[in-house]
Amino acid sequence: MTTLIDDATLAPKIADYLATQLGHAVTVGAVRRFPVGFSWLTYAVPVTGIDGGKTTQELILRLGPDYGLFAPYSAGPQVLSMQSLEGSAVPVPRAYWSSDDLSILGAPFMFCEKVSGDAVVPWVSANEPGLEEGYRKRLAEQFIDALAALHCVPWQSKPVAAMAHGITADNAALLNVQHWESQIARWAMRPYPQAEWGLRWLKAHCPVAPRVAIVHGDYRTGNFLEQGGRITAILDWELVHLGDPHEDLGWASLPMYMGGSKLICRLAEPEWFYARYAEKAGFEVSMRLVRYYQALSLLKLAATHMAAARCFEEGRFNDMRMPAMGSQIATCLRQMEKTIEAAA
Amino acid sequence: MNNSFARLIDGMNATLRSEVLSRLDDEFARGQVFGVINLLNTFKVRADWSTGFLLEQLAVQRTALDGVAALMQGWPEAATLPALPPPGVPASVPIAELLAQRDSANRAIGELLGWLDAQRAQGSQLPAQVAADIEQLLRTAMRSELAIELKNSPRPLFAEMSSGSED
Repeated sequence: MTTLIDDATLAPKIADYLATQLGHAVTVGAVRRFPVGFSWLTYAVPVTGIDGGKTTQELILRLGPDYGLFAPYSAGPQVLSMQSLEGSAVPVPRAYWSSDDLSILGAPFMFCEKVSGDAVVPWVSANEPGLEEGYRKRLAEQFIDALAALHCVPWQSKPVAAMAHGITADNAALLNVQHWESQIARWAMRPYPQAEWGLRWLKAHCPVAPRVAIVHGDYRTGNFLEQGGRITAILDWELVHLGDPHEDLGWASLPMYMGGSKLICRLAEPEWFYARYAEKAGFEVSMRLVRYYQALSLLKLAATHMAAARCFEEGRFNDMRMPAMGSQIATCLRQMEKTIEAAA
Repeated sequence: MNNSFARLIDGMNATLRSEVLSRLDDEFARGQVFGVINLLNTFKVRADWSTGFLLEQLAVQRTALDGVAALMQGWPEAATLPALPPPGVPASVPIAELLAQRDSANRAIGELLGWLDAQRAQGSQLPAQVAADIEQLLRTAMRSELAIELKNSPRPLFAEMSSGSED
């Protein structure tokens, strides 16, 4: 059994690695783990001497441990996408060093810039008041605009093109469904006929994408930082891939992220969300495709919960949030069926 | 155990909230406690004492009661024995067998969905109404299984697990 927090030995390993990368010694202070996230571990790492002087800079370290939810991990997709977005209108932390070599820190990892800000939590109690109106609207505009900007990035000439694997507007949906079918086959600990039924429907109704774009894969409240009403960084790129931009719209609009409100991600009125996004992204949003990808997103979410249940059952680690996630498979599959029925 | 299963769960939840969380500062650790509370709530609506454990207790009781009855057979004092509960316990099915049966039935439902799709794709002689009725039966079963699951699921504490606090 691996312990949840085993951070004491990290600092000297980080110092050795950074010294090799920089060509001179650095000092690494006490690493601090953030309580957020269900998959990759995130640490703040104070490093003195990156510039060869005495300045201390705090870096973010993301580690994908072999006992994690979606293990085995690779830092590749996150790094490629973050590098591809440098200089774009999508606020992303700058990616520095990364490796999948387990001998360095014991797990695939990446270092990136630490950006100031706090995450807005998507899951709130029923009694939680909504966000203040002006603040909400400002965040919503940036949330939509960053997504549209992401979907407009000319990825073909960027590092992320290495992830294309023959994707086209015609096969984007089918490749995506097949990917999640293989994940369900890998993670499910028992047969889920409702998931099989959903997979069959999704395969039989694959739409053609308006374009192939960089898809964040987990675009929602909770995965961006804000400071003073300004979104400072879009985070958590571990599910990034190339695909139909409607997928991010379908995911962001799931009822799970509405926090009891009627607002997409507790931020935006749906009609306004789609209209503003369409204007910024430069194509007409198809509500048929949004519903299709809502159904796929619910299946993705059910698959994620299956992974959580397996992760806990196999004793890979004892994070008590895992079985709680695992108990939500039925909720997702029921919602998926309703969504498909409404779309059919 | 002298307390009911449900009362013990309530007691554990109350203790975690009032005695543990109130003294715990670390946000991640607090989130983990809410994870435990979330699971305890699930146990309360879905679990009970192990039948194996109770059957073991019943077996030793039965040995004693049957032994007394056997020893007293033929003695006049047997007429004054207090009334003893009748032997035998209700038939009990091990939970593992029920789970295996549920999975086997779900596997069959999944295979039937595939078979039905193949029949339709091949243009088989199966009347459309029969195919539709079969599909309806399968979908009703799938929907009902999920409904039973949801009826026995407490509200998840994701907000509390993420923030380490509750309002």
